[in-house]
Amino acid sequence: MTKRIDVHHITRVEGHGNIVVSVSDGVMQECRFEVVETPRFFEAMLRGRSYLEASHITSRICGICSTGHSMASLRATESALGVELSEQTKLLRKLVFHGEILDSHVLHAYMLVAPDFLGVGSVIPLAATHKDVVLRALRMKKLAGDLCAAIAGRHTHPIALTVGGFTHFPTDSELRDLRQRLVDSRADVDATVDLFSGLPWPAFERETEYISLSKPDEYAFIDGDILSSDGPRLPAERYKEATNEYLVPHSSAKLTRNLRDAYMVGALARYNNNHAQLHPRAIAAASRLGLKPPVTNPYLNTAAQVVEIVHCVEDAISIIDQLLLKGIRAETPAPVHLHSGAHGVGVCEVPRGLLIHSYWIDENGKLTGADCIIPTNQNVANLEADMRGLVPQILHKPVEAMQLDLEMLVRAYDPCISCSVHVQQVEKKG
Amino acid sequence: MTSTQLADPQEILVLGIGNPLMGDDGAGIRAAQLLNSQHLPSNVNVEEAGLPGWGLPSLFENHTNVILIDAIEMSESPGTWRIFRPEDVRFIMENDTLSLHQPGLAAGLSLAEALEMLPENLTLYGIQPANLTPGNGLSPEVEDSLQQVVASVLKDIEKKA
Repeated sequence: MTKRIDVHHITRVEGHGNIVVSVSDGVMQECRFEVVETPRFFEAMLRGRSYLEASHITSRICGICSTGHSMASLRATESALGVELSEQTKLLRKLVFHGEILDSHVLHAYMLVAPDFLGVGSVIPLAATHKDVVLRALRMKKLAGDLCAAIAGRHTHPIALTVGGFTHFPTDSELRDLRQRLVDSRADVDATVDLFSGLPWPAFERETEYISLSKPDEYAFIDGDILSSDGPRLPAERYKEATNEYLVPHSSAKLTRNLRDAYMVGALARYNNNHAQLHPRAIAAASRLGLKPPVTNPYLNTAAQVVEIVHCVEDAISIIDQLLLKGIRAETPAPVHLHSGAHGVGVCEVPRGLLIHSYWIDENGKLTGADCIIPTNQNVANLEADMRGLVPQILHKPVEAMQLDLEMLVRAYDPCISCSVHVQQVEKKG
Repeated sequence: MTSTQLADPQEILVLGIGNPLMGDDGAGIRAAQLLNSQHLPSNVNVEEAGLPGWGLPSLFENHTNVILIDAIEMSESPGTWRIFRPEDVRFIMENDTLSLHQPGLAAGLSLAEALEMLPENLTLYGIQPANLTPGNGLSPEVEDSLQQVVASVLKDIEKKA
């Protein structure tokens, strides 16, 4: 007997990807996650551009984590050009970054994942059956968007973030207003934890290598070493030793591997590697959600995102307190030091995981080369390994049920497929 | 949209929808810019809303008067524009192929309807695009018709104000 699952353009993910699984007489014949978007050539676009334009160009890689791309871009440029950031700049950047993590995690958990568990096909019927749930999601998303807009000038594609600092500053009263709204959102955050702690996550365990940034003093989102759950820790500049990109015929995204055949990045990897540095309220939420590190069920990536929602709200409140204590000053961006052959690497933990930008800049401030490694690429090989592990365990189910399990697995990774596509050329053999 | 204040319920909200990097899909954005260059009554708020997607219901919050302007595929000659009333807007919602964005205007409107957040007075200005390929700038037909669209929106605003 043959079972075939062929999901063309899986829904409720960002971008286009296919699931292809075939089983014949109980033996898996094919098991692939195909990335079928066209290449985007952002790295080539950057060549010859001024260092001041890079973050605005790369922000367009993604409409969801545009701040993440801007941030990794700025950090690469700043590292290449020896820029030292002020404390205020670091705090404002962390704050806007939290806004984007919140926005993206709320979108994924509520709009893309929750419908699977609440028995509806999308968020629109969900609005009819669970109006309060959708209204809560919209409230939280609006707050996250307003937070981004107040700090970065607008919700998506930050305009106020620049090399060395900011071109626009929030007022103290805007910050106080946001602080109050964040405090008020605790009820929504708690309700989110309640909702997701009650969901019947599919039971599937596969231990893998988890890679995330890591910092000695905080739960890492911006900067840090690249840490593998298998032990090794690398400085960001040596990222290629961790990512080892390679090509496969069925994907226009480059795949990666480190110490094993595949590794996972994202909220679950961050949680597994850095859980002790979470805010106490987030640690309590993790326990309510049933997370106990190391968590090896990839479906729980969404639960780890919920934990990060709690962390980001609490940390954002504390960052605003620190900013208000000193008062916001309109600072001039820190100076750059142009020189020939400059090279720098910027690393961030964007909503979907480790993001790396690596730039080469000449003495006139023009980029001569760029390398961007996106989280979804890094997850493709691990997702396929999970699919190969999952299929034999669900063979007894009808094809439709198998398909749903596989789609939910793909969604759990929160893939941003459009972002992942940046290869120069993929040649098909034969 | 940096304001974190609640809107004045008397406010007339005009939202220009679309992506100006995709040719005529930027028609709504251009219309918003043209409107903002005019002298407007103080209770009128014109926003370049871009691609609000699921965020559309949040934009509607506390508003009874909303005007949307967007490029809409109507199989008409380029630059043709039409006013859709709420009952027609329902048709737009049901026919998702008219949507140019993901999640599109239709999805955002459907979500608003499911949440009972559709504004009482909702008007949609649809402009037939000629060109929806990557690149800045509108086709001459669409650019021309925007003058009429803006004049009509201004009249509409006057009546409501």
